[in-house]
Amino acid sequence: MSTNTTTMDFFAKNDKISNIWLILTLLISLFGVYGVFNVLINGHDVYGVTRTVPWGILISTYVFFVVSSTGLCLISSMGHVFGIEKYEVIGKRAVILAILTLLCGFGVIAMELGHPFRMAIYNIISPNFESAIWWMGTLYGVYLVFIIIEFYFLMKHNHKGAFYAGLGGFIAGISAHSNLGAVFGLLEARPFWHGPYLPIYFILSALISGTALIIIIFNISYGRPSNLPEKAKNALTGLSKLFGLFLGIIIFFDIWKIITSVYGAPPEKYESVMALLTGQLSFNFWFFEVMLGMLIPFFIILFTKGRNLTASLIAAISAVIGIFYMRYDLVIAGQLFPMREPAPGAHVQSALQNGMVTYSPSFSEISIVIGALGFCVFLYLLAEKYLNLSE
Amino acid sequence: MSENSRALKLAEDNQKLANKRKKAKEKWGIVLDTSKCIDCKACTVACKMENYVPVGFYNYRIWVAEDTHYAKYPVISRSFQPSQCQQCENPPCVHVCPTHASYKTADGVVMVDSKKCILCKYCMTACPYDARYESHTTEAIDKCTFCYQRREEGKDPACVETCPPKVRVFGDLNDPNSEVSRLLAYNEYTVLKPEKGTKPKLKYIK
Ligand code: SF4
Ligand code: SF4
Ligand code: SF4
Repeated sequence: MSTNTTTMDFFAKNDKISNIWLILTLLISLFGVYGVFNVLINGHDVYGVTRTVPWGILISTYVFFVVSSTGLCLISSMGHVFGIEKYEVIGKRAVILAILTLLCGFGVIAMELGHPFRMAIYNIISPNFESAIWWMGTLYGVYLVFIIIEFYFLMKHNHKGAFYAGLGGFIAGISAHSNLGAVFGLLEARPFWHGPYLPIYFILSALISGTALIIIIFNISYGRPSNLPEKAKNALTGLSKLFGLFLGIIIFFDIWKIITSVYGAPPEKYESVMALLTGQLSFNFWFFEVMLGMLIPFFIILFTKGRNLTASLIAAISAVIGIFYMRYDLVIAGQLFPMREPAPGAHVQSALQNGMVTYSPSFSEISIVIGALGFCVFLYLLAEKYLNLSE
Repeated sequence: MSENSRALKLAEDNQKLANKRKKAKEKWGIVLDTSKCIDCKACTVACKMENYVPVGFYNYRIWVAEDTHYAKYPVISRSFQPSQCQQCENPPCVHVCPTHASYKTADGVVMVDSKKCILCKYCMTACPYDARYESHTTEAIDKCTFCYQRREEGKDPACVETCPPKVRVFGDLNDPNSEVSRLLAYNEYTVLKPEKGTKPKLKYIK
């Protein structure tokens, strides 16, 4: 183990990453500048969020990013924290992407918050320890510090340092992420979210995001599955199997979540879940969440036993797209049952004939989301191109 | 003074007043007899005027909803349910607020310190009554304050004062001789969504 490394170990050029992709993703991220400027100039009115659905696609995209980050950190810790040698090769790539996704997540939520700078101040001088958002924000801050240190040690080949920082990141990540679940799970007012289910579910779905993203980024670094070095192939085959297992578990979770929300039509839960099954979110739910997010990747892994890495890559891409919609559905469905009956005079915003409310993201919100996703990919490609992320 | 700065000043003055009244012993509440409501919506106008609530259909602290449980023809009746923030004794909006921007005064009024609000809107998803909105004038969440600016003079809130058939009665729930306590002693009453455990201080006579 040597801690004396030269800059040569830190940087290395990966020619598999073409400049065309860098330029393309940068252009996509510029699209987000439109939304950012629009909201800075015209205020939050340019968003589609309402009095009844105050959390929109920016919140769900934030959740998507931080779920990815946590998942990458948890999965990568199998290698350099829990000492499963096979998975040590994924460390650097997973952790750098964990840092980037978290930063992009922070960027997106900063656009959603009315006063992000105020948050930095009052989170410290006027903290409310009863608030899940306070815990979530603070723990994610701690987590970011840990994973940055972890990445530094990994690059320096300092195994001991990487172990401690990785352990810190693992604990902070799990705590932060279950607190994110609690942000929703603690709301008595919203029966679809309320309860211990979401903190648990969030950790599980983080594992899925993490494994899928690692499968994808290794293929990006080496161009295609057949180019993967033996060690990486081994790790990815193992990860593919885990990926399938996690998918199986989440399908099981989802089935019971739906049954308990439909059986006996429990008030408010039932209406929210019906919005997913047959209502306004049903296309999102069946096509993106169920098909792309769960069934297709699950069956691909099941039938290839995770041994065919091209198939695993397709499964992983399908799952990541599906998971983006899963976050959206979760955040929106919980708010679709209004807190007051939309009677005449009640002024329940965006109410529909069927007694539910509705939300659709505005162009500015969508532009920020696309921009952030593009920017995250851009940053990753940049890191992949210029940093020495191989062992 | 512009509408904006008036709204801001009112919000700041109310914070100062809440600080000054740290030792207040009262517990303010409103008792409503909705059978008297004629749906004139004077309370909604009075509230907007008194509190510089910004224009806009969905910027409001108070509403009058029509009861939709009509009887079928030929037996028809109409009734209304005026309401606002329930000034919960166990307010979820206060529990969830990360910066203590939402807080409860010594005399039990839930208010927002606009300077501390980061507009995360967590309180909006936590409130079971849709009683909050995002205000452009204070650049923070806004809601019913029981017209806190009137507490020093002991005047009734604007919505209480203006109501022609006197649907609302405002007073100190801690004082057994107050009109609100008497009304609650002599009448059966209920609160909205009791199952949420928020313990509202708006009481509806049955
Ligand atoms: S009604 Fe809503 S805003 Fe008012 S105190 Fe209760 S939870 Fe808070
Ligand atoms: S929006 Fe403002 S008042 Fe509401 S929870 Fe967030 S910081 Fe508190
Ligand atoms: S008490 Fe004051 S602030 Fe509250 S609804 Fe009535 S008029 Fe508006």
